[in-house]
Amino acid sequence: MRTATDWLERRALTLVAGATALVLLVVFYYPVATVFVDAVYAEGRFSLAAFREILTSEFYLVDIFWFTAKQAAYSTIASVLLGLPGAYLLARYDFPGRKTLRSLTILPFVMPSIMVAIGFVATFGANGTLNSLLAALGLPRVELLFTLEAIIVAHAFYNAPLVTRVTTAAWESVDARTVETARSLGAGPLRAFWDVVAPQLRPAILIGATLTFVFTFASFPIVLALGGVQLATVEVFIYSKVRSLEYADAAALATIETAISLGLTYAYLRYEARTSGAGEGAHPLPRRSLVPDDWSLRALAVRTGIAGYAGVVLLVFVGPIASMILASVTGGDGGLTTANYEFLVERQATGTSAQVRPLPAIRNSLVFALGTLVVALPMGVALSVLTTRRFRGRAAIDALTMAPLAVSGIVVGLGLLRGLVFGLEIGAYRIRVTGAVAVVAAHAVGAYPFVVRNVAPLLDALDDRLVESARSLGASRVRALLDVELPLVAPGVVAGAAFAVAISIGEFDSTVILATGSEWYTMPVALERYIGRRLGPATAMGVVLLVVTSLSFVVVDRFGGRWGRL
Amino acid sequence: MRRRAFLRRAGAGGATALLAGCVSRDAVPATEGGTDTGTGDGAGTDGATTGTTESGPTTLQVATYAPFVDAPSSSPGPWLKEQFESEFDATIEWQTPDTEINYFIERASRGVAVDADVYVGLDTDALIRVDEKLSEDLFVPAELSNAGNVKPGLQFDPQGRAIPFDTGYISLVYDENQAVAPETFDGLLAEEFAGDLITQNPQSSATGRAFLLHTIAAMGEDGYLDYWRRLVDNDVRILGSWSDAYAAYSEGEAPMVVSYSTDQVFANAEGQDLSKHQIRFLNDQGYANPEGMALFADADAPEVGRQFMDFMLRPAVQGEIAVRNVAFPATEDADVPADFAQYAKEPPEPVTFGYDELKGNVSEWVDAWSREVAQK
Repeated sequence: MRTATDWLERRALTLVAGATALVLLVVFYYPVATVFVDAVYAEGRFSLAAFREILTSEFYLVDIFWFTAKQAAYSTIASVLLGLPGAYLLARYDFPGRKTLRSLTILPFVMPSIMVAIGFVATFGANGTLNSLLAALGLPRVELLFTLEAIIVAHAFYNAPLVTRVTTAAWESVDARTVETARSLGAGPLRAFWDVVAPQLRPAILIGATLTFVFTFASFPIVLALGGVQLATVEVFIYSKVRSLEYADAAALATIETAISLGLTYAYLRYEARTSGAGEGAHPLPRRSLVPDDWSLRALAVRTGIAGYAGVVLLVFVGPIASMILASVTGGDGGLTTANYEFLVERQATGTSAQVRPLPAIRNSLVFALGTLVVALPMGVALSVLTTRRFRGRAAIDALTMAPLAVSGIVVGLGLLRGLVFGLEIGAYRIRVTGAVAVVAAHAVGAYPFVVRNVAPLLDALDDRLVESARSLGASRVRALLDVELPLVAPGVVAGAAFAVAISIGEFDSTVILATGSEWYTMPVALERYIGRRLGPATAMGVVLLVVTSLSFVVVDRFGGRWGRL
Repeated sequence: MRRRAFLRRAGAGGATALLAGCVSRDAVPATEGGTDTGTGDGAGTDGATTGTTESGPTTLQVATYAPFVDAPSSSPGPWLKEQFESEFDATIEWQTPDTEINYFIERASRGVAVDADVYVGLDTDALIRVDEKLSEDLFVPAELSNAGNVKPGLQFDPQGRAIPFDTGYISLVYDENQAVAPETFDGLLAEEFAGDLITQNPQSSATGRAFLLHTIAAMGEDGYLDYWRRLVDNDVRILGSWSDAYAAYSEGEAPMVVSYSTDQVFANAEGQDLSKHQIRFLNDQGYANPEGMALFADADAPEVGRQFMDFMLRPAVQGEIAVRNVAFPATEDADVPADFAQYAKEPPEPVTFGYDELKGNVSEWVDAWSREVAQK
């Protein structure tokens, strides 16, 4: 028996990597291929007509692709600018509620677009909070909605938390002794930051920016909700083509979209592969108190900056979320009401078999989130270890494993319908994959790249000698990973885990395809169902989603924090 | 060709355990009309018993759009199921695939059996997609005793497969405290209405599509693009979905929104101020969007399916559907409650494009429209 466990331990990494490849093949590459093939193969003939039409159309190239890239670039800059101060604050200062705040940073990431739209209209609209504030201060009102600016702010709402979370994890993994060494050699605090800390943060900031670009490049509902068709992105057209069953056009558009996203990701990964550190991690920099011991001019300036940033955060993040909560308790006559929540209670009590009830939706969401965590973490960690090895074509392999982030959700959904729900006919058998397991697999495929991108750079930065000494003392590769490396990069693992939960809870496209029928619907699916022709009940469901998600993040962080002694 | 008649689900016993046993197997049995042991794959993946079982009621699989059974206001679905089952020896199972009719088109074009008997909620657009994408018949005409009562103006299927069961009218909803909506399409171009109208994207929203078609009906095929260019210059807001648009309208972002002429029914139910829910029929017209039902060609229980469709057209049932689906009945003799007309407004003149007018045109119209409007 002992030898069997030994054998398993020695082979564990290879086995997990193999299983990951298999899952990717079944729930991602094969289904998506069934759609992409439509771009070049229709009615039994090979044809590039769809590509030719798009690539020779000024409308598609300039008005759609170029515009989409432009707004994604602006959105990325806004997200990084808005996200970095948050990482600085969370990683370098201590204040009551810091851990909870860090857990909640990722909350916007899971907000359904209709909720964000409602919150944004209430915050930035003509009669919104911002304009009331400006009016109170005697300043002119701003027309923000239905402009490119509105889309950029909304994208920052979604993605700045991502930048914050990834960068915070990297910052918490900075080896304090390297900074101390620099300081003892006479470098000032700024110089030490630029020469020692910044290089250790750069990969995290860049991956945050890359992911943000990829996401905002494929953004769809929020663009139309806050901008309008005049600001349509490529994903709007993919959706429209799929809806009217013009698959060749949809697949061609999606292929070009994916090529651009993956190309960018590949370029980033090539860059990442060239940089590597030799830190030892897990000696985080000491945190400062938000209230300084002595009010020097510099301390005052920094605190003023933090206060200003807090104001922006209140407006951009807290404002819309508070508006959503307010909307859920506001009646049609503008007064306070509990009617929307009463609807949820009533639906729970009297819902029929074909109707979606809130409690099963909450339960399913949590089950899927836990399942995703259990599947995506090993997948992500195993791939992180493999990608820290040096080999030719590493960046290409890496980019392939990142593909689930770069392919349009609409295309993935259609592929899952064809590939898994309809299944594959082999002789007299039809192999189908649906239900809970398929949902978890699909969520894990969407989530594990986040684990990889949070863990791999930190693992890469560790000193190889740590593992070598563990190995020379007789530990297997997996033992060394579990006992030596992972605890040292705990912030990254925990951040990855939080992302996995977030991705799973927020996922809609694949879930609604795979969880057809009356059994496996989740909170976002329930919210969609409750829209009907009145918005009230959906806002109440949105608040339920907010609360359940917040609690999940706090639990993940606390549990992970205990393990990693954060 | 009734594939399902000789396809049988082997069920849990025969399921191979790949990925923890969520893979199903269809074995080809020697006999026809076996039973299914459902494993909870959900809508459209698990058929029910066929009409040839000796014991128990027949199961009728009715596919429809989700709000028909699951809207927060009220849905006809549960009531219809209860009423029908109390009278007929049958059990209704609702299926609500997310992509609605496209789900069945996709199934049929991939050669996967369609596991449903009746589809409820087809519009002209959907029917055209069915006919353009599939070479074989997805639906067949059904002989109904009550079909003669359907208003002739609502009939939209030249082949008689889709029978209308209700209709909605798309109109403007406006807040008379902020602005009084103009009476004509041309009036919307006036300076005073700059930035005052919110509508929806015809590519992704039924109301948006109806409004676009209404402008084509009013301005002509040659004039509608120019009209829209001027609407865009007058700052019309075109949002993604009905809910986006209505949320923005509710927050006072603009005084007019494209919505349903039954808007006051909801507003009244929520005790809202009706001055914010005034209805305007531009050019005294409302664009009719009739909804039909049809029998699938390879239905397992075609007889019960026909009974159900006939049941849907009864005067009493038509009245209930109108109230619960907040739409207008399709038949001349519907028993609609007296106060229904108080809040549900009917246009002086319904307008709609028929099947033949839309076929071969609608996708070009929408495509040309999107290129006109999405120019940066």
